[in-house]
Formats: sequence, structure tokens, C-alpha cells
Amino acid sequence: MQVKQELKQEKGTTGVFRKEKEGFNPFKMAQQQFDRIADQLNLDEQTRELLRNPLREYSFSIPIRMDDGTIKVFRGFRVQHNDARGPCKGGIRFHPQETQDTVRALSMWMTWKCSVADIPLGGGKGGIICDPHNLSEREQEKLCRGWVRQIARDIGPVRDVPAPDVMTSGQHMLWIMDEYETIMGGQYPGLITGKPVELGGSRGRTEATGYGIIYILRELLKEMKMDIAKTTTSIQGFGNVARYSAELLLQYGGTVVSVSCWDQVENRTYSYYKKTGIKLDELIKITDRFGTIDKKQAEKLGYENRPGDDWLTQDVDILIPAALEHSITEENVNQIKPRVKIVICGANGPVTPEAEDYLEKKGVIVVPDFLANAGGVVCSYFEQVQSNQNYYWTKEEVLGKLDNKMTDAFYKVWELSKRKKIRVSDAAYMIAISRVAEACKMRGWV
Amino acid sequence: MAQEITMDDKIVESTNGNMMRELKERVKELNCFYQITKVVNDSRLSIDEALQKIVNLMPPAWQFPEITCVRINLEGRKEFKTENYKKTKWTQESDIVVEEKKIGRLEVAYLEEKSHAAEGPFLLEERRLIDAIASLLGKFIEERRIKEELEQQRKRLDYVQKIMKAEEKEIAAISKTPAQKPDWEVILDLLVKTDPRTLLRITRKMTYYLYRIENEKVTALLNRIAPSIDSDSSAVDWRGIHMPNQRQDLADLVTIQKEVFEIAKECIPAEDISNLFANWMKQDKARPLLLQSQKTGIPLVEIAGELNRFFDQPDAELSISPEDQMSIKTALIRRFFTDRLEYVNVAKMFFDVFDFDFLLEHVVGPAQGTGKLGGKSSGVLLAEKIIEEEMKKDDVLKDIAFPKSWYLTSDSILSFIHYNDLDEVSHVKYLDPIEIRQEQPFLEQIFKHSTFPYEIVEGLRRIISDFKDNPIIVRSSSLLEDNFGYAFSGKYKSLFVPNLGTEEERLHALMDAIAEVYASTFSPDPIEYRRERGLLDFNEEMGILIQEVVGTRVGPYFLPTYAGVAFSRNEFRWSPRISREDGMIRIVPGLGTRAVDRMGNDYPILISPKRPNLQVNPLVEERIKYSPRFMDMINLETGIIDTVDAVKFFREHADEFPNLSDIVSIHESGRLTPPNVLFNPKEADIVVTFSNLFEKTDFLEKIKRILALLEEKISTPVDVEFACDGKNLFILQCRPQSQSRDIERKPVPKDIPEDRKLFSTKKYVTTGQIENIEYIVYVIPEEYTNLTKREQMLKIAKIVSELNTKLPKRKFILMGPGRWGSKGDIKLGVPVRYGDINNTSMMLEIAKEKGGYIPELSFGTHFFQDLVESNIRYLPLYPDQGEDLFNEKMLCESQNRLSEVLPAYTNFEDVVRLVRVSDIIPGGTLSVVMDGEANEALAYLKPADHLSWRTQKIEEIAQALDPELYGVQEMYLIGSTKDGSPGPTSDIDLLVHFKGSDEQKDKLMVWFDEWGKKLAKENKERTGFDTEGLLDVHIITDEDIKKKSSWASHITSPYQTVRKISLKKDV
Repeated sequence: MQVKQELKQEKGTTGVFRKEKEGFNPFKMAQQQFDRIADQLNLDEQTRELLRNPLREYSFSIPIRMDDGTIKVFRGFRVQHNDARGPCKGGIRFHPQETQDTVRALSMWMTWKCSVADIPLGGGKGGIICDPHNLSEREQEKLCRGWVRQIARDIGPVRDVPAPDVMTSGQHMLWIMDEYETIMGGQYPGLITGKPVELGGSRGRTEATGYGIIYILRELLKEMKMDIAKTTTSIQGFGNVARYSAELLLQYGGTVVSVSCWDQVENRTYSYYKKTGIKLDELIKITDRFGTIDKKQAEKLGYENRPGDDWLTQDVDILIPAALEHSITEENVNQIKPRVKIVICGANGPVTPEAEDYLEKKGVIVVPDFLANAGGVVCSYFEQVQSNQNYYWTKEEVLGKLDNKMTDAFYKVWELSKRKKIRVSDAAYMIAISRVAEACKMRGWV
Repeated sequence: MAQEITMDDKIVESTNGNMMRELKERVKELNCFYQITKVVNDSRLSIDEALQKIVNLMPPAWQFPEITCVRINLEGRKEFKTENYKKTKWTQESDIVVEEKKIGRLEVAYLEEKSHAAEGPFLLEERRLIDAIASLLGKFIEERRIKEELEQQRKRLDYVQKIMKAEEKEIAAISKTPAQKPDWEVILDLLVKTDPRTLLRITRKMTYYLYRIENEKVTALLNRIAPSIDSDSSAVDWRGIHMPNQRQDLADLVTIQKEVFEIAKECIPAEDISNLFANWMKQDKARPLLLQSQKTGIPLVEIAGELNRFFDQPDAELSISPEDQMSIKTALIRRFFTDRLEYVNVAKMFFDVFDFDFLLEHVVGPAQGTGKLGGKSSGVLLAEKIIEEEMKKDDVLKDIAFPKSWYLTSDSILSFIHYNDLDEVSHVKYLDPIEIRQEQPFLEQIFKHSTFPYEIVEGLRRIISDFKDNPIIVRSSSLLEDNFGYAFSGKYKSLFVPNLGTEEERLHALMDAIAEVYASTFSPDPIEYRRERGLLDFNEEMGILIQEVVGTRVGPYFLPTYAGVAFSRNEFRWSPRISREDGMIRIVPGLGTRAVDRMGNDYPILISPKRPNLQVNPLVEERIKYSPRFMDMINLETGIIDTVDAVKFFREHADEFPNLSDIVSIHESGRLTPPNVLFNPKEADIVVTFSNLFEKTDFLEKIKRILALLEEKISTPVDVEFACDGKNLFILQCRPQSQSRDIERKPVPKDIPEDRKLFSTKKYVTTGQIENIEYIVYVIPEEYTNLTKREQMLKIAKIVSELNTKLPKRKFILMGPGRWGSKGDIKLGVPVRYGDINNTSMMLEIAKEKGGYIPELSFGTHFFQDLVESNIRYLPLYPDQGEDLFNEKMLCESQNRLSEVLPAYTNFEDVVRLVRVSDIIPGGTLSVVMDGEANEALAYLKPADHLSWRTQKIEEIAQALDPELYGVQEMYLIGSTKDGSPGPTSDIDLLVHFKGSDEQKDKLMVWFDEWGKKLAKENKERTGFDTEGLLDVHIITDEDIKKKSSWASHITSPYQTVRKISLKKDV
């Protein structure tokens, strides 16, 4: 390994004390990925310059009077990567350390994600440097309100729409919304997404991501001339995404032979296998609220209890990694059975680039995460639309519209991938980036 | 207790001789006499009324009041008699004489025949009393006559007074003095005649009294008897041994009596003296109790009887002087609780003598036994008293409650053992630990099949009927549990008894539980613990605390609505903003078992009573994940403890469960809110959070105040167990926090050389020790940061995870950068999950300075509660700050064993180092000592043996010992040091073949004792362990060797070996 040699040299001269080097930088990686696609798109230099970096970055102080009466100053920030296609959209996180580059990378990723789903939103991300484990609820509320006071003018339903993210919840969003409405003097439920239904949230949100995956899978199978009712699938995970993927897939007549879950009691993962296919209802009944399937009861119901990684090695048509990142790596990718034709990424980054290369060579179609799991962000978009017009749809309406959006998005990508004979993820990136680049051009920015 | 008390009079007589009975008779007599003097001095009474009263007052002073009758016969003129008066042949008489003329007769008669005494059935004292009363009557009648005369005189004088006002006072004085002798003088007269001992006591009291009010004459008087030392100090040589003070002739005491009362008469108003007398006489009522209580080892039944008798008297409490009160109660505290002065000092401020009367009604034990109540009971009772006192003043605490409790004395276990001929168990503690482990289940069954002595069974029967059908808990309360600094908590058993069925069934269930708790005294864990701490030879006795289970009935179950344990020091801080002093509560719904014990797969709610806003789990997902999932409760149908799914239980019993909204929240749309009235328990997503209990009730305030109060009064951090029955908060148990499980305090050793220290810190330290660490997994912070790919960081997590399964469980520690368990932004720390690290014994986060700024550490927040429940310790390290030390070189220069254990990951050898401690120090281990109290922690390398140090010390002893001088023939080494396996606290066992005189033997023992103490001190500096003297010396004589008795068997037995220590003989 390259890393190793460099380190060896370092140690030879300095002993224990090492020089700090540039380590992992997610923003650099995002830029490299962008550059690669930009090359393929033949983007001009100015557009690249514009899209390689965020449009705007805000960084500001939030002084808070703590519960004990002392004042503490926190750092808040918001990165708006690009809003050429519509208001920025992205989470607000509480994070213990200043990691600007992570936030930049994530905001860029949001731009592409919204673009590939073809929703009129741009990419943003932001947060406050703090560890909520050291803050009382009241202090957190003050922080949220303080954050809004500093940036109220630069966010809003038509500017930049925050959402919950790492270590923030619906409650934080409601404080943010309330403070914003107080400052602006009006009702602006469209400021944020991820609200409870009573306060302007959208129905169908829990289903959105999982269903979105299956809408795409359904269309992909049509394209591959496979009957969805005759397919078998193995799913990693048994959380929200995995469950609703399975639900819809079973509705369509498909067979799911395996799911996996984290066993809270034994602190390890297990796969549960049933040759004839799982029944969702009976499994949910024996699953606790933490997503652990009861091992004994599952065995009673005829499920085979297998090691956690077993989902990967099933003789199936489709794999849906819907739990962890880096689940399919160069080490285990060769264990995937030749029968597998499709890997559709429910989780974020479940397939490493090396593994993806390998799968491509084997002719396996990998649907990238930011397309496959875009159902969530599409639903957030729907939430915003409903909030802005103060008119709320039924769940069926939401899911119907979601189906249309996902199907459209997929065909755009698929068409390009077929036409240019490139892998699906590259096609998705190219479409996403070119749409944004076009918008910038149309606006006369570049 | 009632039965024992009624039958105890006989016991008192038989065991205690006549002294007590006599004393009581004296008190009765004095009491009677005192009351008669009062009647006599009451000028409002006519002479007839007075005489009738006196007749009625007399019978109680005689031995058999119920068959005693009295008559005053005034020579045919008048007669006064008790209602039951009858002339019988058992009569004593005394003449009433006025101006040397007999005017009548006082008669006392028994209505039944009684055994023969001094004068027929009458006692000598009764003769004195009847004479004294007769004489008093004579004087009384005489006085009244004079009074009548004086009355006439006064009328005349009044007339004169009007004329001669100036002389008024004088005349009044004249008119008074001859008329009335103050009643105290009357009493004194009586005492002179009847009771020289009481007289002497009263004289002493008066002398002290006068001395205290600094009466010069008395001071002079006392000086005459007992010359004070400083009066002529040149005569006294203070520098050395001096002669005893001279004995004065105490015949004087009797003679000074007159003087003393003369002085008193001069300087104290008569009325005051009378009051003093009245008080002293009253106080005399407490004398039997006082005397009894001071007896060491007074049997339970005697002291209980004495208390009962004392408090049966009207106004009993008022009649004890404060000094007597103090000395009675301290004696009782020592008798029933502990000799430990720290305890006695606090307890005496809170207990009344009366409390013991009540307490002993709830004590069961061998009637003739002298056992105590044991540590746990003492702790609970003291806490109860302290809180009760505060409840009077503090409104917040006013509805605190305490469970109904009974106590079995600690010697009940001995009587149980003797009764069943189980005496052989006493040697169990000296067996090999493996043998103990093998024998324990059998022993437990033997105990369970044994029977209790009759008197105990009767006591237990009372307990059963008192508790009715309320479930009960049987808790151990051993003598060792009382000692500060030893954590026996959880080592002895506590058992629930559902208390169902017929009385007989319930009784047997209770006995079964007690027997099992008894058997736990001989179980391997506590014995091992005692062995380690040198407590094996302590005569451990097991008291039992029997409490009602606090709770309420819900469906077929019995359970408290919530229960838990509160600590006044927080040993598991989840944020740097929380200090140790902020305390911590572990609380669960249902029985507190799940809060007291660590369940591993379930979580209690943790909260700091002083910082409730800083939650352990501020994020909704975390609060759900770490909420209690199960509840323990007593199933009243089956009689066993069921563990029930909490959410399911609340769904089914939402309407019956008291104050459910205090306990649960509803999870909806990513938020947790307390249930409102409209909530549907069948559908809502219920999560146990205690939100409303913490925010809307004064529960936290109560706990906070109780902790602060108890900590202040007991002068040590405490932990308190509590439970709620749906209405009141009950305090179940209280003990010093140092006795809690796993948080025993040990100081950081001070003499560790620098090159053996791995790290030390003075920040955010909690209390705990980790010993025998064999491996250190070190993720080098800089190298980790330098990784260029996310996959590589995930790989590091994988390596840690695999090491976690490969390395010996709990024998390794993890050290790494920043925040273990980071998600998302994994540059901040290795992205492990709890399952990847669950076998480590400790997790360290290293915050190295980067470009002038110190990264914020996680404090284990990503899986904090998992760490707490598995007792994995956490420590942050700031090597670039202040006093923190981190000897990174030690880890980097030692061989990296990673590729041996995980050959697949050789690539990452530069990022992850696996260090085997014995590579650095052959045979050694790493120890981490964390002392939260002092806020310092140290990890240091420990050499393998304690043997060489001990061997060296034995040499020194041998060199120092003069065998001639002390009569030592030979000296041998036995025990663990001889076997080559001493631990850090092991005694050095010496066998001394002794051939000298008794005097030499005493000197020798003193000499060894001093050496033992010296070595213990050295050993403490060396190891940090406290021991009571490190030498265990056994003396054997020729005789012993001949008889092959006890320790001599070491030399004579072919199965034992000793090592001879060469003494310096030919000097």
C-alpha cells in the first residue's frame, strides 16, 4: 500500500512524532468525481470553476446564554452550493467539530441529487458546531433560534430550505421554523421539511425512499425484460428503507428470500433466510422497535438464521443493500452469485468504487444511491410544495406523484446509459451535472 | 416482641439476681414518699383529705400493690383506709406520734399470704418506709395544728403590720420558718433513715450541681477531699511515671453530706431545691434502664423487656436526664448497630431512646443472643431517622415514606447453624476457592432443608402475620457490610418472597429465603473478596432485613410504579459539563432490580438530579434506543418474578397503572411527548422516558435534597435505593457510596517510577480500577488522520472489531483518537459500533492538539449507556495539556503484535499497534487506577510478583529479631509467600516456635505487630492497597508440637511444608 510506505519513511526520521499530512478530504473527493464527469461532459472552465465550489458560504457566531447563566459562543454555518435550478435544499446538523470540507462535499452532493431526480431545488448544507450531548434541550432551542436570527435573510421557502440531519430532529426544525416566522411575521411552513403532518408535513414520507427504490427497480426490470413477479431479491437491513422496499416488491409479486438486521442483544448482525420468501407481516410482528428480529421466533416461523453477511451471497436476481455504507467491497464482491443481475443501492455508498468496477465487468447493473434513494428528497420537495400552497395531498397522491418522478428520473438516466454505453452511475452524474450547468448558462452566469 | 416481654420477668429474676428487683422497689418507695410529701405540703387540702390521699398513695410502694391495703387509725377519733382494707394476719404497723404522744396507728396489710421475708412477708425496706411515713404523718398533724395556731396569730399580726410596716419582712420571716419545713428536707430526712445509697447519689448530684454553679464553699469542700492537681504543681512530676493520687478517706463523703445541704440551703431557694430533687427522683426511674443498657452483651430479651417496662410508665420520656438519655442511647446504638464511632457519633444525634422501644418490637433473634442488626439495617435506620427529622422542616420531603421493616439479629445465623449441627461450615472460608465453588450449591440445599430454632420460628410467624399478604424482600445485613470501604453490595443475596398462600406456606417461603441468604455467607464470591482484603478471619455474622415490597397491584402483578438507585457522586459522567457532585439516578419502571443490577441488554434511565437538563441521550433515536424495554414485577398468581415487555405491559394496563403519564412518552413524528388525555395506549408508540416525572413533579428535587442531606449528615457520599407505590416515594436503603458495587475507591499509588507509567490524567476522572490488562490496542491519532480514504478508516474499525473478538475478554484496553464510534464524519474517530468494542475493559479517547486547538471528545456518547451497563470504563486523555502524561514512546517502541493476531491486516501496522504488556515488562500487567474523589488516574506497569519484596522483608525481619531476647527457637514461613504466590495484599504468614516466658511472648507479639504495621505502610506505598498489618504470626510451643495441635501441624504433618527462616543465632 502506498500509504504504508510514506508512513514508514516518516517514522524512520522522526520516531514517535509524526508530521500532520493531508488526510482524507471528502470535498476533494467530491471535486475529483465532479472533474471526471465534467471531462466527459466537456464542460468549460468557468462552469467547472462555478460548480466545483459552493456559491455562498455563511459562517457566523451564535452567542447563547447557557442554563447556568454563562455565555458561550457557538459557530453556525450554511453552505449554499448551487441554486440555479431552485432554492437550496439540505440538512442542518449539529456537529462537534468544524469540518467545513465535509459540509461542502455534502452540499454539492445535494445539488446533484436534486438534479438527477429532476426537482427544482439546489444543494445546501449547514449546521452548528456543538455536541448536543453537552447541551440541555433549552440550550439547543436557543441555538436553533440563534442560528435562524443570524441567517433569516438568506434562507426561506424560496431561498434555502433546511431539513433535519445528523443529531437534529423534527423538534429542532420546528424551533427554527417558529423563529423564522416570528422574524418574518407570517406563516412559512415551507421554510423547512421533515415536519410532523399536523404542522405541515407530508404524508407518505416513511414509505418514500423504499418505494422509490422499487419504482426504479420495476422500470429497470421492464427494460431488462424480466418479470418482477418471477424475481428473487436479497435485502440487507430491516429498517425503514428495507422494509418499505420489501413491502412494495412483495406487492408486485416479487420474492424476497433474505433480510438482515442488527441484533441488539447479541451485538452482531444476522441474516434471516426463507427459501420460499419472507412474509413481511409476520417478521414485523416479531421485530422490536429497534429493528431487531427475534431470533427464536424467526426460527419458529421457519426462517434460517445465518451470519450477517449472508444476504450478499444468496443465489438471487437482485441485491438491495439498504443498511450500511461500504457493504460491498473488493474483498467480498466476488462472493456475489453469478445469477445476480442488479444491485440497487438503498443505503448511501454501499458499494465501493473498486467493487463497482468489478460488478461492471461482470455485467451487473448497479443503480447508484443518489438516484435509487432519491425518493426521500423528492418527498421533501413535495412537502415544501404542499406547505407553500397550504394544501395537503393524500398519501396516495403523494406516492403516485413520487412514482411519476422516480420513473421519469430513471428513464432519463437509463436512456443515456444505454445510448452512451456508460455505467448507470456515470449517466446519473452526467445528467445531474449537465442540468445544473444548463441552468447556470440559461441564467447567464457562465 | 410482646410475648417475650411478658415472660421476661422471670428471666430477669433468674439471670439477674435480686439487685434489679431491689432497685425497682427502691424507686417505687421513693416515688411514693415523694408524692406523700407533695400531698402533705399542699395547703389547699384539708387534713382529712390529705390523709385519705396518703392512704391511697401507699399500696404501689409495697411489693404486691394489688393485694396491699392501708389504714390510718387516729386513736378512735377518725379512720382513713383504702377501699379494699381488711384486717388480715399479714399486717405491719407503725405508731403515729405527736409531741411524744402516740395519737394513732398506720397499718399496711396483705390480703393474701406471701412468702416469708424480713418481717413476715414484708421487706426490711418496707418497715423503714412505713416508719418514715408514720413519722411524717406525725409531723404533718403537728404542723397542721401549729398552723391553725399561727393562723390566729397572723390575724393578730396583720393588725400589727398595719401599724408597723417597717418590720413587716422580719415578722413574716419569723412567721414562716418554723411553720414549714421544705419538702426536700423532709425527703432528705427520709433518705437518711431509709436509703443511704440514694442519699449518697443525691448528695453527689447536689455537690456537682453546686460545683457547676461555682459555689465557692463547695469548691473549697471538694478541694479538701480531692486536692486538684494544679494547686501545687511542683509536687507533681509530669515527665515520667508518677505515683497514684492519694486516696482520701471517703467516710468524709457521708459527713460532708450535711455540709453540702447546708450550703445548698444557703444559696439555693428552697423551691429550686425541691424541683431539683423532684427531677433527680424522677430520673431515678431510668436507672434500671441505664444500668442494663450499659452492660455489654446484654441479651436481646432483657434489654427489650427493660425498655418496654420503662416506657410503660407514664411520662417516661420526660423523666430521663439528657446525660442519661445520651448514655442509654449510645449504649443501645453500640449494642444493636455498631461500635464504629463515625456511626455512633451521627446516630446519637438522631435516635431517641424511645425509638429503640419501637425498633425492638420489630426485632427477632435468639432471646439470650447478643447479635446486632448488621450493616444494611443500621444504614437504613439511620437514614430514616435523618430524613424524618428533616421532613418536619422541609415541605418538599414531607411525604417521603419508609417501608415496614423487621430485623433478624446477626447471631440468628449462629443459632441456626448450631441448632442444625452445621458447625462445620465455619471452616468453609478457609477452603480452596474451587472447593467452595463446588460445595456451595450443596451447602445451600442443606441450609434450605434445615429448621429454625423455635424462638426464631415464632418471631418469623409474627412477621408473616404483620405483613399480611404484601410481598416481602429478604435482604442480607451482615456485620462486614457495615464497614466503610468494603463493597459487599451484591455479594450476598437479597430475595423476594411473594408471600402467598396459607400462613404456614408463607412462613416456609420466608424461612427458605432466609436460609438461602444465610448460605450466601459461605458462597465463593464474598469469601474470595474477603480473602483478597484480609477480612477472612473477621467473624462474619449475617443479620437479615425483612422489608415489605413497595408497590401496587396492577392486573395480576405487584410492582412499584418506578424504582431505582440514586448516587450522590456521579461516576459515569456523560458530559464534561457534569461534575461528580451532580450525582446520578438510575431509574426503571417496576422493581428496582433492573436499575440496581446491570442488565447488559437493557437500560435504565440515567439522570443527574442536579443537572437534569443535560440528558445522557438528547437525540430522539438515542432516547428510544436506550429506554428500558423490560420490567420486573411479582406475579401474584404464580409467585415468581416475571420480566415483562414494558411497552406491552403499559398497553394492556394503561388505565390501572397509577400516573402512567409520569413514566412514558409517546413517539410521534420524530418527537417524544408526554401522553395527553386523549392518547390511545393500544396504538401509540410508547417509550419509557420519565419525562413528566422529571419535569412536572418534585421527584428530582426530593432525591437531590435527600442525597445532599444524607451526605452532609453521614459525611460521606451515599447511595440510596428508592421506589414508588404510586403515591409516595419510599426510601428503601442507604449506604456509603464507597460500598456500592464497582465503585470502591482506591487511591492512585504515588511511588511508581516514571518509566513504568503509561499515562496519567487529572481531568474528568471517575472512580474505578482495572487490573491485569494484558494488551493495549493503540490507534495512532496522527496516522489515523493521515488516512486518505474513507474505506481505510472503515478498515480500522474492522481491525478493532476483529481484535475485540480475538483478544482475551476484558484483558485489553482501547486507545485512539478523538471520538470512538463516529458516524458520518468518521475522520473524528474510529467508526466502531458498540458490538465492535464490547469486550474491552476500557476505552480511551486521546485529544492531541492540532494547529493550536484541542478536539472535543465524545465521552463515549455514541454508546454511553452500553458502556455503563457493561462496566466498560471511559477516560479522556489530553496529552498536550497541563499535567496529563502519555508515554506514547512505550507503545511505539514495543513490538507490534497486530500481524500475529490478524495477519490479513499487516498493511495497517503503522496505524494500529497491538502492544502486549508482557513485552514491555516481562510477566507484568497494566493497571489503571482511577480515583474520582481526587480526580486523578494513572496507568502503570505492574511487575509480575509481590514475592521478591516479601522475601526481602522476611530477611530484614530475621536480621532484626533477637531470638535470645524474645525466646524464639525457630521461625518458619508458611502460606502464600512460601508458596510463591502472594497477591498485593497477602499477609506474610510466620510460624514461630516459641520457648520463652509469657512476658517474652507478649513482648514478641508487640514487636511483630509493629513490624506488621510498618510493612503494611510500605506495602501501601508500593501497591496502593490498604492492609491491617502485613504479618500474620502464629506462636507454637513444644507442647503444641507434641500434640500436633493447630498450627504446629504445619511442621508435624507430612502433608504440609514450611520454609525455615535462618535467625541470627550466634551473635
